[in-house]
Amino acid sequence: MPLTLLLLPSLIFLIAVFALPLIRYVWLSFHADSVMTGLLAIPNQGANWQRFIHDSRYWQDLFQTLRFAFVSVTAEVVLGFIIALILNQPLRKRALIRSSSLIPWALPTTVMALGWRWIFNTPYGPIDRLIQSGLGRPLNALGEPSIAWITTVYADIWKTTPFVALILLAGLQTIPSDLYEAAKLEGAGPWICLRRITVPLLLPYLGLALMFRLAQAFGVFDLVQVMTGGGPASSTESIALYAYWNALRFLDFGYSATIMIGSFVILSSLIVIAWVVISLARNRSAGAFAK
Amino acid sequence: MVPIIIIASILFGLSVVARQPDHVSILMPAPFADSTVDLVKSFNQQHHGRIHLNVIRGPLETEAISDLAISSLLLGDTPFDGLLMDVTWVPKYAKAGWLESLDNYFSNNEVSALASGASEGNHYQGSLLRWPLTADIGLLYWRTDLMDQPPRTPQELERISQKLQSSGRVPYGYVWQGRQYEGLSCVFLEVIDGFGGEWFSAESGQIGLDKPAGLAAAQWLDGLIQRGVSPRAVTNFSESEALQSFKSGQAAFMRNWPYAWAELQKNDSQVKNKIAITTMVAQTGHQPAATLGSWGLSLLRGSAHPESTVEAFKFLTSEESQRYLYSQYGYTPTQKAIFNDQDLLKKHPSLQSIGEALAYARSRPETPVYAQVSDVLQRKLSGTLTGMTSPTAGMQQAEQSTIQVLEAAGAAP
Repeated sequence: MPLTLLLLPSLIFLIAVFALPLIRYVWLSFHADSVMTGLLAIPNQGANWQRFIHDSRYWQDLFQTLRFAFVSVTAEVVLGFIIALILNQPLRKRALIRSSSLIPWALPTTVMALGWRWIFNTPYGPIDRLIQSGLGRPLNALGEPSIAWITTVYADIWKTTPFVALILLAGLQTIPSDLYEAAKLEGAGPWICLRRITVPLLLPYLGLALMFRLAQAFGVFDLVQVMTGGGPASSTESIALYAYWNALRFLDFGYSATIMIGSFVILSSLIVIAWVVISLARNRSAGAFAK
Repeated sequence: MVPIIIIASILFGLSVVARQPDHVSILMPAPFADSTVDLVKSFNQQHHGRIHLNVIRGPLETEAISDLAISSLLLGDTPFDGLLMDVTWVPKYAKAGWLESLDNYFSNNEVSALASGASEGNHYQGSLLRWPLTADIGLLYWRTDLMDQPPRTPQELERISQKLQSSGRVPYGYVWQGRQYEGLSCVFLEVIDGFGGEWFSAESGQIGLDKPAGLAAAQWLDGLIQRGVSPRAVTNFSESEALQSFKSGQAAFMRNWPYAWAELQKNDSQVKNKIAITTMVAQTGHQPAATLGSWGLSLLRGSAHPESTVEAFKFLTSEESQRYLYSQYGYTPTQKAIFNDQDLLKKHPSLQSIGEALAYARSRPETPVYAQVSDVLQRKLSGTLTGMTSPTAGMQQAEQSTIQVLEAAGAAP
């Protein structure tokens, strides 16, 4: 019996939960299926896609979602790396420090989003109070389109940096300490060790963290929904929020499916590009390490 | 012996089945479920063995309860018999085919006993689809310790505010709901109508945003922030923030719903016994408008016990229940008779002002695509209020986007 046959059960499972809904969405994106059609799917000759291409709101949301994802994930990786390096040191009460650093990540997103909404609240939140006593005027962070998105990024960094740190910490622990000892004997300082040993060997874990985080950040929903509801002036609206509104609030399933499939295509091509770039970088640094 | 036992137990089982009461379940937002606990208890006592009413406590927020109801309705068989619905959902749910007509259950007399205002927003395309539990209307709260008479026009409101602010008696003049959400649409509806315009008419398809009254309304709201009559933070205010601000004595005026009255009369309120209510300001020559935000009970299609469900509706909305809900929880009654109840008026003088304001109740556009239409307005208005666009550009874009939304939905008349 060929071994590939053994994969069949999991393949069937994957098709059922992954491919079928996707095919259904593609089919739906070529139909009008909304409250106005009595929730019946009626073919509409690609009208959804016409609308999608010209939907300036979608492209604004895409930009905002990408901005959110890149800024927050970059910050999380940098901070997470630093935190992982610290947690990897032989500290006193290390177990306690390690587990307590995970608290933000363990909190449900909606709960912490509600918390941040009140912390940033004008005029009752503590941050606004502080700024008002310093600047003399309130910050109004959640009411200004130019800064509201930064508060959502901030809340996301606060919540998910521990997750990145955890993955990177696991990576750090796989690096054998004799590598560092050998490098030290050769006269390498801490900076060289970090650049030549830690970072290259951590790259697979970094890639893993990036994959997880980017996929999650592109689909950001609950955080934004609770903190700002997409406002002010839709400056924090994400793709997932827009698709959700179309489906559940507007009862326009045809267009909602179009947004999902459109975003799926755009984002998966972005991830493929990112993956290629990362593998190229990994190969190059692996080559450098071999030298 | 054995067959006798079997037959006896079958007969016993049948008699138990025959005596099973109708189980009726109604989904309500949490605050309503909490305030109707005692009513449900007495309903179940009175109908013991015949009907058992079970109110399901849903989420707190209006939109969250709609999402929950819609998610279960989409799956086919409804797990609920009745749903407590916001006024803006009726056309959408009706068009989706989720509601059962109540025409056969309520007589014309019963319909005409409803107070004007409370009778609106229950019908779609001629059939009665919702029976009102409580009427809710937008009101202007004002401070009796700062002025003798409330303002009647937008200009007066601004003048009084600025005078009070410059003399240092209040930091802000007027607080309202400026966050990008449904509350902003409610605020705007009152202002555009007060300027003699109309946001959107579902019958004629006329959009009034990029018209003189629409522009004036957007300019006035924007000007309130620009000129410091309203705090900048109003662009992120929902009802609760406005209430907190007014309650702590920070403002001379507030736009809010009737529920705020009870909150403001609590002991921790800085403005206890210093407030009164009236209708929203309007330009001279135009009638004031109060956005209707009522809640009502709808029978869901597929309910196994429609008669029993309607019986529960009638009990929950009876005069006696309404009197109870008003005096205990401040729920605005929907029946004319209660507004003329002298005993109640003596105990709650504010009931008269609410009754008067109810006469000016205005529904939001009654269309199945209301959610889209309102969403467009909220986004563009929020853009204007936060300085992203001018009021003129904002209203132009809002009108254009509304046309696009209607066309895309196939709802353009």
